[in-house]
Amino acid sequence: MSEIYDIGYRHYDGVRLGRGHSTRALAVHSLRGIFGLGRPARSKIVPFSLAAIMMLPAVVNIAMMALLQQRGIAYSGFAVVMQAVVAIFLAAQAPTAVAPDLRHRVLPLYLSRPVSITEYVGAKVAAMTVAVFALIAVPITLIYVGELVVDMPGPPATGEYLGALLMALVLAVLLSAFGLALASFTPRRGLGVASVITVYLLSSASVPIIYATLASTGDEAGAAWAWLANPFWLVDSVQHWLFGTPPHSIEGDYPSGPVSALLVVVLIGVALLGLALRYRKAAAR
Amino acid sequence: MHILATEGLTKRFPTVTAVDQLTLTVGPGVTGLVGANGAGKSTLIKILLGLLPPTGGTARVLDLDVTAQGSEIRRLVGYMPEHECLPPDVSATELVVHLARMSGLPRAAARERAADVLRHVGLAEERYRAVGGYSTGMKQRVKLAQALVHDPKLIFLDEPTNGLDPRGRDEMLTLIRRIGTEFGISVLVTSHLLGELERICDHVIVIDGGRLLRSSAIGDFTQVTQTVTVEVDEGLDELAARLSGGGQTVSRQGRLLVVKVAGPETYDVIRDATAELDLCLIRLEQGRHRIEDVFREEAAGV
Repeated sequence: MSEIYDIGYRHYDGVRLGRGHSTRALAVHSLRGIFGLGRPARSKIVPFSLAAIMMLPAVVNIAMMALLQQRGIAYSGFAVVMQAVVAIFLAAQAPTAVAPDLRHRVLPLYLSRPVSITEYVGAKVAAMTVAVFALIAVPITLIYVGELVVDMPGPPATGEYLGALLMALVLAVLLSAFGLALASFTPRRGLGVASVITVYLLSSASVPIIYATLASTGDEAGAAWAWLANPFWLVDSVQHWLFGTPPHSIEGDYPSGPVSALLVVVLIGVALLGLALRYRKAAAR
Repeated sequence: MHILATEGLTKRFPTVTAVDQLTLTVGPGVTGLVGANGAGKSTLIKILLGLLPPTGGTARVLDLDVTAQGSEIRRLVGYMPEHECLPPDVSATELVVHLARMSGLPRAAARERAADVLRHVGLAEERYRAVGGYSTGMKQRVKLAQALVHDPKLIFLDEPTNGLDPRGRDEMLTLIRRIGTEFGISVLVTSHLLGELERICDHVIVIDGGRLLRSSAIGDFTQVTQTVTVEVDEGLDELAARLSGGGQTVSRQGRLLVVKVAGPETYDVIRDATAELDLCLIRLEQGRHRIEDVFREEAAGV
């Protein structure tokens, strides 16, 4: 070993890039981590099987268009229909983005470099957002390409497709901010997975309960508000208001669209604030 | 030129004052920061990195202000934390490359620097394995490598020898000395063991309870008093009696006698006494006054 030591030390006098570069590098690094790239094979199993499951309806849709000249799931309804898969992806992968750095106290190694805590959290949220967006956007894009290739009768649903993409992005920001905030409160990965999925199940399960209770008392208008308890229907109600797409709720219409939009903004704000507070505490350690 | 300078630096936490009116300067080379656990060493480093705003006073690192230019400072310094801070599921290479990029190095340069620096700290083939399986010594080397990867002007090493066995400790200390001399990177290294720093530092700063006890060149520490250690085959008691009878200050340490050097004549007195008693002189060694003793004296005086 001693002869290895004898190689002289070389100074580095090349370029030193700014914080933007570091933040982007961190976002890409985190995104790769979310999909298990550059990690052992077992880290790839969950994200890639969930991504494959998301592709199945797209393939079926294209087949239906090609063989039966019939549309399957609407672009605008894709995220709502596939919500369980998206939620599992979020629960399984959000903790991998934030938990190891907190648990193994890697954060000081980042903070002793030019990147600030805001840029660190921003990069993590961006990476998770891109991951969730890709999970939804890739299959609907595939369906859209399929629609163009199959040449369905009538004009292609380009408007609905683009609207669905935009809504997928909004949904991705909302889910990522919340998923990461929840996951960052526990340094243990397993607990992070459990807490994200629990919150999703609660938000999901509460919808039919509240809806049925209010509907049975004849308060249809009040019952409609129940849909907003679930993030997927919440974003769908914004889509319904913005683009006039049919509501993809199980039954009944959505309440006021502007209120939903406001609620989305407030929820994203709350989640980001939670993340900021959590990391301000973690940084002070 | 000063590498870092503080002026009346104070950091108060709700229950404790971690750094108290600290005024000191550090020049290039290897500087030891010594203090008991809880003396304020880690807090001081966090302030110097611009991560913790001071309650009062100012501090400048590489002539940059810690409160206003924190991110500029962090571009030019490296930091090796005291605690474990490595994610177990990535390889040393991957981690060090990633952290090099976090310091602003382009991808290709980051790869090259990481390979270089891991070799310098003595990690060979094992650098491709996951860090989780490393020994404490190897982990310490990875922590040191990530602090060096962006070729900083100054590195802060917080208790780098913590948890190492004697051999690992020796290797780590040699490496730190090389960083300060051959690599030309200034080093601020903390420890609670003075003896360790004595071997590698040019300058030692002693703090206790967040206050400065002493800051001086290593030579000053060792030259406070001179002693000579005498070892004889037998007849130690007679020699001790004879020397103290002759006006020398003698203390007995096991099978050795430690004689305080009053002047050049002390050596003659010892030689003559041994010869007259017809003793078999095994060793006559210039005893260095260890900085532990200085620390003990100063701490007692405060």
